[in-house]
Amino acid sequence: MPAIQARGLTKRFGAAVLAVDHLDFDALPGGVTGFLGPNGAGKTTTLRMLLGLVSPTSGSVRIDGHDYRDLPNPTMLVGAVLEASGFHPARTARNHLKVIATMAGIAFSRVDECLDLVGLSEAGDRAVGGFSMGMRQRLDLARALLGKPDILVLDEPANGLDPQGIAWLRDFLKWYASEGAERSGGGRIVIVSSHLLSEAQLIVDDVIVLAGGRLAAQGKLQDLLAGTKRSVRVRTPDAERLLEALRAANLPAALRDGFVVCDCSTPEAVGPIMVENRIEVHEMVSSTESLESLFFELTGGEGMHPGHAAGLMGDYRQFTDGPSATSAPAPAAAPPTGSVGGP
Amino acid sequence: MVRLLKAELRKLWTIWSTYLLFGIVILIDVAFSFGLAFAPRGRRGGKAGIVPHGSAQWFSNVFSVLDNSRLLALVLGVLIITGEYRHKTVTPTFLAEPRRGRVVSSKLGVAFGGGIALGVVTMLTGLIVGFVLVGLKVHSCLAPAGVSQGMSEALCNAHHGVYYVATTHAMWHDWSRIAPGVVLGTGLFAIYGVGLGALLKNQIVAIVVGLIFTLVVETIITAIWPTIGEYLPGQAATALEDAARTTFRGGSTQLLPWWGGALMVLAYGVALALVGTFTTLRTDIT
Repeated sequence: MPAIQARGLTKRFGAAVLAVDHLDFDALPGGVTGFLGPNGAGKTTTLRMLLGLVSPTSGSVRIDGHDYRDLPNPTMLVGAVLEASGFHPARTARNHLKVIATMAGIAFSRVDECLDLVGLSEAGDRAVGGFSMGMRQRLDLARALLGKPDILVLDEPANGLDPQGIAWLRDFLKWYASEGAERSGGGRIVIVSSHLLSEAQLIVDDVIVLAGGRLAAQGKLQDLLAGTKRSVRVRTPDAERLLEALRAANLPAALRDGFVVCDCSTPEAVGPIMVENRIEVHEMVSSTESLESLFFELTGGEGMHPGHAAGLMGDYRQFTDGPSATSAPAPAAAPPTGSVGGP
Repeated sequence: MVRLLKAELRKLWTIWSTYLLFGIVILIDVAFSFGLAFAPRGRRGGKAGIVPHGSAQWFSNVFSVLDNSRLLALVLGVLIITGEYRHKTVTPTFLAEPRRGRVVSSKLGVAFGGGIALGVVTMLTGLIVGFVLVGLKVHSCLAPAGVSQGMSEALCNAHHGVYYVATTHAMWHDWSRIAPGVVLGTGLFAIYGVGLGALLKNQIVAIVVGLIFTLVVETIITAIWPTIGEYLPGQAATALEDAARTTFRGGSTQLLPWWGGALMVLAYGVALALVGTFTTLRTDIT
């Protein structure tokens, strides 16, 4: 039984902008759901409609069958982290949380727990005005966690976090989603919107892909990735010979950015050919076609040429994935913020 | 609802701008009360010439600035609601309590309390200033001839003492007549401020509109059409002060009965807040 359900969800801003267009989706308990899409796809608007901050033009998005605005004390059921503003600069972090705790009838001991959890206990009595972006983001997460909610909604939570922070958040969200729900035993729901696709790929179990306010795809990440192609990239001084050999073996290949890129399913197909032809290899990377490529396929590139984008992403992937990845989504170091540029 | 009120109260006392506002009120009260004590004529007209120290007219001058604290109460009310939009704290607030009408109601309640507090501070400041001013009065004291030095000093002290007690008694009488009206007026004006803020949403615009309307527009309307003027918020609040009728005005200005004035200001605040809740505050938080 899906706990979050959107049906025919539509939001129009004025006459010209159709931000969300008849969106249907379900977010299921027990995993992290990635809410993905290029800028302007309607991610934030959809999440804000879910949270009762924006009124849908038509359709509905319900939590356990209720509109957010009808929840008697939503802090205890839904925690939300939106853009990291929404702090009075002169108020201390602890007082900020105490205000919300008071509204929800939560004991102040929980405020200290949450500050501890996000690593802000020492900064708790400082005014938020002097906080960095990352600290604000963490404080906002602390606020969302006050009520130990079974549903956690995060809009671009990695913004402003440093690599350690992103890695911490990734582990935290996975742990939080796997924790049993205290409410019904049905597991928790964690929804994360992100444009950092390679980062999202490491966290999410399910994906909901939006493009132009419409649903482009929905399902298990593994299922969606299963149907996509892979490629093998080789750096060699004998590029011309390798290209010839690959083509001779009926493997489509091309020279791109100094790499020989072969559209083959596994490195096992390329390795023997290189040995046979005694080709010197400096580097060999198997790029499992990732969420990124899938994403560009689904969203039509959104103004960026898919090939070009793949090239850019390829260089990036080489940097983060390391050379030995042969299986689906490889564990990777946290990417530095902003290194993946969406269109 | 109790939780919401407590949370709103906590919002108020966890930022320094609230204390700043109270500080400004005290500063203005002290400065103007001292200034008007030595002014040749009352703020609200009166006869030319130096007002005798300790007279009813003199106390009217000293205390006449105090009811202006309701302008700062109006600012307090505006800040309570527009601060949420200015700093975007409205997002966590509406996440925790999505029923926006309840949020506005709790703000009206806390604003009333905050305004009352502002009024109490203002009246206490006025009282202290009054005691100091009466004590500052220097008497020339000529003892009768043939009296010893010690006796002369004792007579002078007795004279001072009698003057002090008599004058402060008169002052207390005047003060206690004004105080309830001023305190109720600041409480109600803070509600009026929340209403303005709920409707206009923008902090600066709401403050400027509130102050200009009260200080300029109301004054002009009241001067031209006193029958309309008495129903405007500023004049309605003035009607709360017993002394306004008897001392300052000599009954010349048209004012509502005190309860009518109170209801008028309350009605302005609540009506603006209602309209604001169903228009401005219903808009999307993006």
